[in-house]
Amino acid sequence: MFEFFNQPEVIKVIVTFGSMLLFFVGLFGLLTRKHIIKIFISIAIMESAVFLIFIGLTFKLDFIAPILDSVNVEASTMNDPIPHAMILTAIVIGMAVLALGVSFAIEYFKLTGKTDIDEMNEMRH
Amino acid sequence: MSVKKISLKRELPTTTLSGFALSGLLVLTILNILLQNMPSKIQTAGDALLKLNATEGVANAVTTVVVFFRGFDTLGEIAVLFIASLGIGLMLHSNSRCNIKSESNFMLQTASKLLFPIIILFGIYVMIYGHLSPGGGFQGGVIIASAVLLLLISHKAFEVPHSVIVALETFAGVSYVLIGLIGLLVLDIFLGNFLPHDISQMGLLLSGGIIPLIYIIVGIKVGSEMSMIVQNLIKRDHDV
Repeated sequence: MFEFFNQPEVIKVIVTFGSMLLFFVGLFGLLTRKHIIKIFISIAIMESAVFLIFIGLTFKLDFIAPILDSVNVEASTMNDPIPHAMILTAIVIGMAVLALGVSFAIEYFKLTGKTDIDEMNEMRH
Repeated sequence: MSVKKISLKRELPTTTLSGFALSGLLVLTILNILLQNMPSKIQTAGDALLKLNATEGVANAVTTVVVFFRGFDTLGEIAVLFIASLGIGLMLHSNSRCNIKSESNFMLQTASKLLFPIIILFGIYVMIYGHLSPGGGFQGGVIIASAVLLLLISHKAFEVPHSVIVALETFAGVSYVLIGLIGLLVLDIFLGNFLPHDISQMGLLLSGGIIPLIYIIVGIKVGSEMSMIVQNLIKRDHDV
């Protein structure tokens, strides 16, 4: 019964709509939540949707991982290594930015005791 | 008694959300159509790099792309990670910390002591074999940082000495740039592969010239920086 899902078009549609769904889950959280840590988590969810669509759209079913050896030196049956490398970079940068943002939020909470973004109005005078 | 009328539109910005959803749907559909109608014989950058990959004698093509073809970008990425770590250290460096650690029980303490060397060993394996198998410096460094995190949450007194992290980070950053400069001197290319990288050696541990060396350096740097980040985020005050 799972042969249906092995068609390349079906895989592409699942990847596209699934990551779009995940992206909009993150966007919904970003727009509607007020807690600052929840907003950072929403941004992380949106990031993971972008990672998924990059990897998923270049995924081909019968192709192997881009690791050469004495048997598999034919490059035409290998997956594209560039999205993997780009997403490796993006994951690390996303993690660093998330950690920096959370540390800002922690320091702000220690100074003022607020986590709601509607109450962050120290600069508004 | 007056019932306060709550507008649903105020709670959920439905118009904005549906607008976003529709535009995103359109963009993704067009992207999907474009990608599906691409001729299959088209020469992508990845195919060209896969053909070039064998000349460096490294089995894992992703490693070659990250460390060799995009080696300069990886240097910048390491710099970004360093700046983020520095920012977290500056932000959370204060004497008035609240205690977010609680007492862990005996089982957790013993198990984490037992698991710590095994996780470190696995991280070093992933790091060293990054040019032969899936894995590499970033992944191995994060695994090592997870071992440090395990000890941090189970032992209240545990702390990675700051001097050790500073020494490791400095060593890794300086040797990355030095390897690049030696390549510039020997081959007139920054990060040129000046060590022997014969294709017949492909698949062996000692193959690929400078690529495994650079990935080990990246692993040391990422491991120490991530350990510093988790330690800064979890550390409590000394005199509490």
